Amino acid sequence: MSEPVFSMRDGAVVLGGRPVLRRVDLDVHRGEVLAVLGANGSGKSTLMRALLGLLPLARGEVRAFGVPVDELRDRYRIGYVPQRASAASGIPASVREIVASGRLPRRPPWRPAGRADRRAVAAALEVVGLADRAGEDASHLSGGQQQRVMIARALAAEPEVLVLDEPTAGVDLANQRALAATLERLVAAGTTVVLVAHELGPLAPLIDRAVVLRDGRVAYDGPPAALPIDSHGGDHHHPHDPHDDEIVPTSVPETASPLDRLTEPPEHGEGVG
Amino acid sequence: MSLLSYQFMQYALVAAFLTGLAAPAVGTFLVQRRLSLLGDGIGHIAVTGVALGLLTSTSPTLTAVLVAVAGAVVIEVIRTYGRSGGDVALALIFYGGIAGGVLLTGLAGKGPNVLYAYLFGSITTVSGTDLAVTVGLAVTVLVVTLTFAPRFFAVAQDPEFARAAGLRVGFYNIVVSAMAAVTVTVAMRTVGLLLVSALMVVPVATAQQLSRGFRATLVGAMITGCLASVAGLLISAYVDVAPGATIVLLTLAGFALTWPVGAYVRRRRRLASPFPADPDQATEEHLRAHAAEDHEHGPDCGHRAVPHGDHVDYLHDGHRHAPHGTHYDEH
Repeated sequence: MSEPVFSMRDGAVVLGGRPVLRRVDLDVHRGEVLAVLGANGSGKSTLMRALLGLLPLARGEVRAFGVPVDELRDRYRIGYVPQRASAASGIPASVREIVASGRLPRRPPWRPAGRADRRAVAAALEVVGLADRAGEDASHLSGGQQQRVMIARALAAEPEVLVLDEPTAGVDLANQRALAATLERLVAAGTTVVLVAHELGPLAPLIDRAVVLRDGRVAYDGPPAALPIDSHGGDHHHPHDPHDDEIVPTSVPETASPLDRLTEPPEHGEGVG
Repeated sequence: MSLLSYQFMQYALVAAFLTGLAAPAVGTFLVQRRLSLLGDGIGHIAVTGVALGLLTSTSPTLTAVLVAVAGAVVIEVIRTYGRSGGDVALALIFYGGIAGGVLLTGLAGKGPNVLYAYLFGSITTVSGTDLAVTVGLAVTVLVVTLTFAPRFFAVAQDPEFARAAGLRVGFYNIVVSAMAAVTVTVAMRTVGLLLVSALMVVPVATAQQLSRGFRATLVGAMITGCLASVAGLLISAYVDVAPGATIVLLTLAGFALTWPVGAYVRRRRRLASPFPADPDQATEEHLRAHAAEDHEHGPDCGHRAVPHGDHVDYLHDGHRHAPHGTHYDEH
């Protein structure tokens, strides 16, 4: 078997003096579609950012394609889709311009975009179905469409692995289905996918491995079929009534089984994740 | 046209042309990062640089470049590593810069008139050496800014993504700030240190009234800045007023002309755009769809009943409904 795409050994991350990830061992293999699930604050986004080398580890190490992630030269092999675009910038930017910025790691700073670059950008726009919106100001698009712009930006570099942080958060069902269709095509083409979610929705059929985080530790790692129903929070349009909490003891043991999640109240809003 | 035959006027025109191109080019990236006033702050710091040149009898342009670039790098470092105090630290640097400049000029035995030429621009002070330095610096700024434009754009647009893609975010931010500092010094002779920021920002604001993309904004701002700069210089020469003020007022007039057009286009677009697809909206539509339903959930409504705590939910379109008053909560 070839080198894992990502490999974290005994990973620990401390943010602002608080341990967010503890003793995480995780290998992501080529061609896998891995979903990282867990409650808000369980360390999902932190795990993603640590895998990408965006956060320093307090302990342990992360390797990407066999080398320590900080030393990875070919960054274009990793396509990252952040949870939300940073606050809209002070200048309008067209969809094509944003997607083209994803192509930059493929060439040295002094070389202008060539034909191959433009072709890759056009192909990425085609994959997410935004080719006809390429000239528009991206800040005028809906949340789901902006999410697709960011996916296209990651795809423009033609990465081997796609890392998506909460690609379904705040995205309507139609756009979630479009996302699922896009990912399905990429997976069929051999792309490895790692995504964070707190509800899988239309993505569920694509997932072949689920990792559930709880308090910064891996509480479950295995096929999604063995996950208890509703383990990723279910519907969250409306707060649950307190009676849900009465079913479970409020103090959950540290060695939690994924089954405990069955009775956890669903999550609302965004958090540290 | 007799004025144009003077050598100092020809020098000043070349300087104004290049300044008009370079200032908005750098300014676009400052506006993108929401740092429109950074140029103003660097201008304050450059006053100390000019005064140092006067005091030591070296070229004020040279000392201004050195001090301004050093100040810009310090500001960028404070912005990156300083936490909540960064804002105050910037104020300290700005005012330290201008106060130090005035004090040092006094120590050099020069009156306020000498400083005035640097603060508000003065075409007659452009000498042959000054012009050579100005051209060299302006061309440097243009080449660096336009070459790295795609990276500057990516880094400012989404720093998190840029870091994941292996772009050196901190490095490119410092280069942008340093280029802004060089531009301030270049524009010192035509627009003056206190008004240079206007030439970096106002043409960008004007261009973005009409553009939908970044490249269009950048090019539009450079054209606008160049026109205002050259036209302002000519007007000021014939009417005999300070060139800086004339140039800045021209850029503001350009903004005043394009703003109504931009506002009209934005309004049209807002009216034409469909409702945003946010979750609240989806819920609302959902509720409407359900309100249209003609039955109450009950033991015989056909939806599967699921006991849930102290009540019964009904499976409905893949989710659960709990009766609550006159509507259904989603469980």
